[in-house]
Amino acid sequence: MSARIGFNLLQVLVVLACAPLVAGVTSRLKEIVQSKRGPSIFQPYRDLWKLFHKDEIVSRDSSWIFRFTPYIVFVAPLFVALLIPVLTSYPLFFAFMGDMLGGGFVLALAGFFATLAAVDSANPYGPMGASRTRMVGFLAEPVFMIVFFTVSFVAGSTIPYIVQQKWVTPLANFFAPSHVLLVLAFILLILAEGGRIPVDNPSGHFELAMIDESKSLEYSGRGFALMKWGGQMKFFVLLCIFLNVLVTPWGLAAQQTLGAVLLAIPLVLLKILCFVLLLVVIESSLAKLRLFRIVEFLGAAFITSVAAMIAQVFAA
Amino acid sequence: MNVVVILWPPLIAAALAVIPSRRRWWQPGVTLLSCLLVLVLTVRLAWRIAAGASVTAGLGPGWSNWVMVDGLSALILLLIALVATTAAIFSVGYMEHGERTPRRLRLYYANYNLFVFSMLAIPLLAEPTLVWIVVELTTLCSALLVSFENTHEALEAAWKYVVLSLMGAGFALFGFLLLFAAMHAGGAGPYTWTGLIAAAPTMPPLVAQTAFLVILIGLGTKVGLVPMHTWLPDAHSQAPSPVCALLSGIETTTILYVILRLMPVMQGIPGAHAATWALVLGLTSVGTAALLLLQVTDYKRLFAFSTVEHMGIILTAVGLGTSASYGAMQQIVTHSVTKSFCFFAAGATLLAVGTRQIGSVRGLIRRAPAAGAALLLAGLAITGAPPLAVFLSEFAILRAGLLQRQYLATGLLALFIVIAFFGVMLHVNRMVFGTAAGAEAAEDPPEETAGPFRLPFSCALALLLAAIPVIVLGVYIPAPLDELLKQAAAALSR
Amino acid sequence: MMATTTMQPLLENLNALAAGLFLLTAFGMVAMRQARACLHLFIAQSLLLAASAALLALRFHSAHLFGVALVNVITKPVIVPWLLRRTAPAEIYTRREIDQVLNVPTALAIALALAIGAYFLGIPLVQALPPEYRGPNVPIGIAGLFLGAFTLTVRREALPLLLGLLAMENGAFLAGISVARDLPVLVELAIATDGLIIVFIVGVLVRAVAQHAGTTAVGELASLKEAAAEAEAK
Repeated sequence: MSARIGFNLLQVLVVLACAPLVAGVTSRLKEIVQSKRGPSIFQPYRDLWKLFHKDEIVSRDSSWIFRFTPYIVFVAPLFVALLIPVLTSYPLFFAFMGDMLGGGFVLALAGFFATLAAVDSANPYGPMGASRTRMVGFLAEPVFMIVFFTVSFVAGSTIPYIVQQKWVTPLANFFAPSHVLLVLAFILLILAEGGRIPVDNPSGHFELAMIDESKSLEYSGRGFALMKWGGQMKFFVLLCIFLNVLVTPWGLAAQQTLGAVLLAIPLVLLKILCFVLLLVVIESSLAKLRLFRIVEFLGAAFITSVAAMIAQVFAA
Repeated sequence: MNVVVILWPPLIAAALAVIPSRRRWWQPGVTLLSCLLVLVLTVRLAWRIAAGASVTAGLGPGWSNWVMVDGLSALILLLIALVATTAAIFSVGYMEHGERTPRRLRLYYANYNLFVFSMLAIPLLAEPTLVWIVVELTTLCSALLVSFENTHEALEAAWKYVVLSLMGAGFALFGFLLLFAAMHAGGAGPYTWTGLIAAAPTMPPLVAQTAFLVILIGLGTKVGLVPMHTWLPDAHSQAPSPVCALLSGIETTTILYVILRLMPVMQGIPGAHAATWALVLGLTSVGTAALLLLQVTDYKRLFAFSTVEHMGIILTAVGLGTSASYGAMQQIVTHSVTKSFCFFAAGATLLAVGTRQIGSVRGLIRRAPAAGAALLLAGLAITGAPPLAVFLSEFAILRAGLLQRQYLATGLLALFIVIAFFGVMLHVNRMVFGTAAGAEAAEDPPEETAGPFRLPFSCALALLLAAIPVIVLGVYIPAPLDELLKQAAAALSR
Repeated sequence: MMATTTMQPLLENLNALAAGLFLLTAFGMVAMRQARACLHLFIAQSLLLAASAALLALRFHSAHLFGVALVNVITKPVIVPWLLRRTAPAEIYTRREIDQVLNVPTALAIALALAIGAYFLGIPLVQALPPEYRGPNVPIGIAGLFLGAFTLTVRREALPLLLGLLAMENGAFLAGISVARDLPVLVELAIATDGLIIVFIVGVLVRAVAQHAGTTAVGELASLKEAAAEAEAK
């Protein structure tokens, strides 16, 4: 029992510690693909350290939402990390506290507050980016729902651990059409929600074209560090949901010993690295879509997920 | 005599027609020769079938799964040959009239022969998927014929024709594959028309019914049944008149033949209600066509809508039951000969006045007496005025309907026929007898010619030849034809 | 490592995968705005059809279906583009539909409804047939048929229209190979030849229309109506 609580807290620590690493690896790989050297993979840590030691400037015209939001954005992914399988394939102590929909809503809560904060600061670029983020968000919602409902239909439950056991553990399911189509749909979703190309340029500096970056435009010092770290953790959590629940349980600890769980850390990170490679290839080969084409992009994701649902639900 | 021999003349003629030649008579001559040959062969075949020869006469042992000729097939073959011959005669004079480059003429005659070939193949084949392939082939061979005039409207009509027909054929392919599956699910025999009739009781009903409906809708698009008929008025009016005669006179009937082959199969399947579907679809077509007839402004479109109406009448007759089958077969014959005559008359009118607008044509009987008389006769004939051919067949159908106590259906049918009669005769009357004063109000003043217009000899000959069955069949059906019709009617029931 | 009996579920799953991706390409042909992308999707669809035929052939040990797969691999990815280049004007490849009949999300939503309807039609049909015919081919084939017909109504450019026609046949065939397995290869060859003739004729027509009307948006031709017919043949 105490072991389970311990493992749960270990999961949260891993998410906290490894999220900037994943961000660093992604940007370094992208630069390498573009024939540059790129920053060190530990650079995000140094950035966070620097930001925590800087002064914070808060606009006089902003309200408590502006001050409160960085904490919410920081804490929300940690809550979700309690619920999803990050290191183990068996349910941990807090696993039944919320299901995948609950996790989705918690992440949406963070996004909601970030949007409000962007509007709160009266910076002209903030609301522009905020409205675009909301557009992408509400278009991505149906895809999330359909994906979760399809996998829950098969597993008979919406708890991620149970879904993972029933959905991907029989290996013959790997090539099942609904599996492949759901993986495709979710990849499109990660591109949209994570603000990657072709939806948004994560390394762009042009405020008029920003979608996701603009929510942290006004922040500085500690608030900025928390927003940045929270964003990186959200991406990490999305990847964990995708890779551990939807794709394959490979690398997750099956025994309840500390050694197995500690071994799972590098294995899961390796799995994430493989996916990051794929992501970098996708990002480097596509161009950013025009804003109104994002609707078509997410429409394609929706169609793919519904095709998966049809193949699964109606074909039985 | 191997019946497949019937297919060779048109193929050879198509190949020969492509050869460039300085002589003006080469392509028409080759086409005419092949059509006459086919006519002789089919008449001989029909005679022997009517006299009771076996359906696979003269074929080797392996052929019976692929080729089969019975009364219904022989009837359709005969009609194809007849209409093709008269249309070929008409083409000679018609094609002389415009400025046609030799290359366009080669294209026309080659396509003409290929089209005739593909139509001839349909009644001969016994395997439904092969029949489907040839049905698609008829669309493809006639597409370039429909767009022959190369005007904007002709190209659009050809495009709509191709797209809608092929769309329907796509659905029909699925239907035929489903039928195959249904037959094999019951474990039954070869996939031929007779094999299907025998296998009907063992087929899973749902699959067979779905297959029938899908085929009805898919092939019904090509037949011109409502609501899939939207391409027909355009295609059948923009094509050159001899091609219209082929399309309206015999091609839609040949596709209807394929649907009719399925009717005895469906009678063996409980709950299929094929007759009800045929009745409903037929009556809808007749009604819609009769009402749409009233507002046409182009006389070739008038006759095209009349084709839709007659296809509906035939389908209604089939749906009315076995006692109306003879009437349906008779209607097939009379419609073919009459509709081809109608389009010859329309072609003659077009040659005389140069426009397709009803509003621009007045007093045709004075300007071009032959064309005017032909048009008048055509209008009367196609709407079922006695004592012409169509009257007898429609009367037979209505009588059979009353005997079957299908009062509602027969009443509706009679009503729609009367509406169509008024519609067509209104337009034709104005065109043939209208006063010259009406012509000034039209936007297109008629051509000023010195005297009455003279039709080209071959067009007049074709009109005369086509008129003979129209008049003769109105009073007398020769005994062999009667026997053939009876055999064809028998093929519609198990 | 795997015996034939344990390969059965794998073959079934792979066949289902091919059918699922087939459905995706059918959706793509409705939505893709560039004509050349439609052609690529059609080639992918034909290859998936061939894959499904080959997988079914492996599963049921049927030589006919191998023939079907072979014919599909040769004619559609190779000969169809070649024929198109010979007959149709080259500009049909560079077209992109700027103003559309229906915008992409609406078209996709209707296509989705059609696909679900196809499933509702297909499942009772499959259940009425003996058990060895079970599988996703029939419902997805019907969906392919409907989506091809929908592509025909919703697109205006010549190339997507032609490909919609051929996609309908692909769909009918996907359904057919799972239920009509003993169809002679001769028939399959004839149907494939038929497809090629379709491409030829449509190519010639499109060329004529492009010469005449100056556009390859053949779906826009809509001048033949009763009132408009007044103006012609003056």
